[in-house]
Amino acid sequence: MPIYEALSDKLTVVLDVGSAYTKFGFSGEYAPRCIIRSEVRCKKTNTIRRIIDYENEKDLYDLLVDFVHVLYFKYALFSPKDKPIVVVESLLCPTLFRETLAKVLFEHYEISMLLMLPSHLVGLSTLGAETALVLDVGYFEAVAIPVCHGLPVIHAWQALPLGSQIIHNNLRALLNSDNTGINNLPESVIEDIKVRCCFVTKQKRAAQLSVAKPEITFAPEVKYPIGGSEIITVSGKVREKVYEILYDEDNDHLCLSTMLLDAITKVDIHLRNKLAENILLIGGTVMVPGFKARLKEELHKQLKHDRYKKLKISSFKFHTPPCKENYTAWLGGAIYGATELLSMKALTREKYFKENRLPDWPNMRDNFRTNN
Amino acid sequence: MAHVVGPEVVKYACTCGLLKSISSLYFCRYCCQLRCGFCVCHEVDSHFCGKCCENLPSSEARLKKNRCGNCYICPSCQQELSTRIGSKGPSNPEDPKSTPKKMYYLSCLYCRWSSRDVGIPDQSAATGGWPDRENVNANRLQEIIEMYKAMVLAEKQQKEKDKKKQRGKYLSYTDRTGVTAAALRKRIGLPVDIQHSLLKAKPKEPEPAIAKEDVEDLPEELLTKPVNLTEVTTIEQRLLQIDLQPTTVEKLFPVHKQLSIKRSLRCRSCEHNVSKPEYNPNSVKFKIQLFAYYHVPEIRIVTVEPLRAGRPSELIIKFTNPTQHQTTITILSLVLSGDENEVKEETGDQPSLPQEKQPPSLSSQPSSLLSLSSRQPSITIKPRPVSQEVNADVAIPSSKVILPPRDDAAEYDDSGDTHNIQDDPKLVVWRKSNKAFVKLLVTPKQGLALNTEIVAGFTMQHIYTNTIATTVENREPDKHDHNIRVFLTLGNLVGFD
Repeated sequence: MPIYEALSDKLTVVLDVGSAYTKFGFSGEYAPRCIIRSEVRCKKTNTIRRIIDYENEKDLYDLLVDFVHVLYFKYALFSPKDKPIVVVESLLCPTLFRETLAKVLFEHYEISMLLMLPSHLVGLSTLGAETALVLDVGYFEAVAIPVCHGLPVIHAWQALPLGSQIIHNNLRALLNSDNTGINNLPESVIEDIKVRCCFVTKQKRAAQLSVAKPEITFAPEVKYPIGGSEIITVSGKVREKVYEILYDEDNDHLCLSTMLLDAITKVDIHLRNKLAENILLIGGTVMVPGFKARLKEELHKQLKHDRYKKLKISSFKFHTPPCKENYTAWLGGAIYGATELLSMKALTREKYFKENRLPDWPNMRDNFRTNN
Repeated sequence: MAHVVGPEVVKYACTCGLLKSISSLYFCRYCCQLRCGFCVCHEVDSHFCGKCCENLPSSEARLKKNRCGNCYICPSCQQELSTRIGSKGPSNPEDPKSTPKKMYYLSCLYCRWSSRDVGIPDQSAATGGWPDRENVNANRLQEIIEMYKAMVLAEKQQKEKDKKKQRGKYLSYTDRTGVTAAALRKRIGLPVDIQHSLLKAKPKEPEPAIAKEDVEDLPEELLTKPVNLTEVTTIEQRLLQIDLQPTTVEKLFPVHKQLSIKRSLRCRSCEHNVSKPEYNPNSVKFKIQLFAYYHVPEIRIVTVEPLRAGRPSELIIKFTNPTQHQTTITILSLVLSGDENEVKEETGDQPSLPQEKQPPSLSSQPSSLLSLSSRQPSITIKPRPVSQEVNADVAIPSSKVILPPRDDAAEYDDSGDTHNIQDDPKLVVWRKSNKAFVKLLVTPKQGLALNTEIVAGFTMQHIYTNTIATTVENREPDKHDHNIRVFLTLGNLVGFD
């Protein structure tokens, strides 16, 4: 970064609050300053609570006030007053959450301007491309939204609760059936087991996992120490089987691979091939070893079904973003924040207090054509 | 002082409605109101490194990404790394008499990690020699950022140009006379439209990313090799180096230590500082120190009789006057709904944008200076109703308690208390210099279950003497009453009536 840019006062904060992790940094930089868990010490109960475990609006307000305080005064070391901020959020973010976040930022921390960016759209800017099918697999859910010529095609949205949360629950159930006596392992321990021991296996092996007498030899088991005294065994079968839940079709025959194909089906015919050849995967869950290879195998397997015969797609091509997938959306926000877009399109404090709400895509008041 | 870190038994209600113990409250002298960490405005005062205790100017801190240039933390356990002297070889290999050259390496005293584990060669300089790693994709990302910046700038200029063209509804003078600028240029022979300088040369655009059909396969060794948990990194270790996020331990490099800040607090309604620490990182003192502990009488519970539902129990509390002026304490009944000092007008649910507020006349900053600063006036936090439920009644005494001023020399002086204050013996049980024990009767409400926590509350009114520099005409510092709602957690219900 050239020196003159760094010394200017135009530091814009870029924030991506996820269900499990929050990415926080400054615009124009290539990586966030910190990626921390989205949890904070609640003042009333004096326990650490996750932001997504809020009970009502007032509770969420207090949690967000404490959380944003930690972000600014422990990690960014920056005063929020009278400074702009860019927030990257999912297009399917609940209205209560985004309105409360805006209220916290404007009323309590007195920021000057707020720009909300959709994560699927800005993730593309890291590639320099304009058309792609973006799949975000996070903690809470997996959302696929195609972006064509720089516009997210919202009516083609697909979302399933196939994120890390369901994988943690699956791992807990599998471990409980193997090891007796371990109950109520904390979430951080389960996450650690998942990250260090488990992976997504190949399609051929996956079919053998549920058979009574499998023909393959499983991966070696791992002895995982807990609490300094106990050791639990993570068997090879568990290591490979944990992620299978992503590809188990539910009652509506939906799973991760059908999600992408359904999203492609809802788009215009002449864009379908282009989308299939430009798939971008973002989100922390995507960083598991073997994820991309298995997704490609599953997509080809689903193509053979009757309902996708009309798609006539021959190949799937994946993008590699110039960063790790768990902060790709943040990086897109940082790129947007470095341009003049902030001064053009951000919501200023005066306008927020006049309207007292954020512009939102489902709200018809914001969906009128402007004369360009 | 153990009561500071012990359970919060005595809580005061701040003006914003939150309940805090006296050690977490501030007192704004200009507004004469209690403030807490929630309702003041926090600001970053100065940056410093916790290990080398050096101050850094904010511009340099921004440049170095809020990290110290000299200190490192261990990537394995996130504790501080110390520089140790390693092997010493002779500095001049030919001359055997030369002094041995000292080579330094980084080592963690807690988890025994060292810089030699990841293959960093030992440095000959004690500080500042360690190599810094750069982001692999920096060039590509820089190109992308430049491209988008240029694109948005072009769009912005296009919009402004369109706006100007729209405003061209108004005829210019040359139009009325029939000689427009364009016609004139045509006559002379110059091109009609002026080429915008920025539109002439378009910078080279970086090519968009190409998607590849081949994806990285599952590495085969995961299926066959046994996992050694000590070699795989945990998520916390990976997130220390965000652009690398290594999965194996041998790629964990030391990270620069993050800086700490000194925070100054400011009252939102009068814009005066409530707490301002000293600049020196080694000092724990404050330049401005308006803590409630030094201005508001402190209440501590001395004894309480076992509580029974419906029966009055004796409660003895101790009042301490921390100021240099005499104060009178009156105990009034508690008013839970709304604050006594709340703004009377109905503002509804929406906070309106505050108009340019002029600070009160007691302020030290002249109003002309305030308008010059670019700071917007703060939005005061809307007070919320106190969420604590009170389930015991306090018998309100009719007499007042006079507390003499605090006298620091009194503990060395054995001449005794010469204040001669006439007290109601049923109210004031014991007295010494600026402290007094007061007896109150507390009656828990009927119908409560056994072992419910009993919370009693009352409003304490004390006379606060304002010590801000007064005007020349009036030498008397002005006194006025200040009401504070106090909530006492008295323990569990023992029995019934």
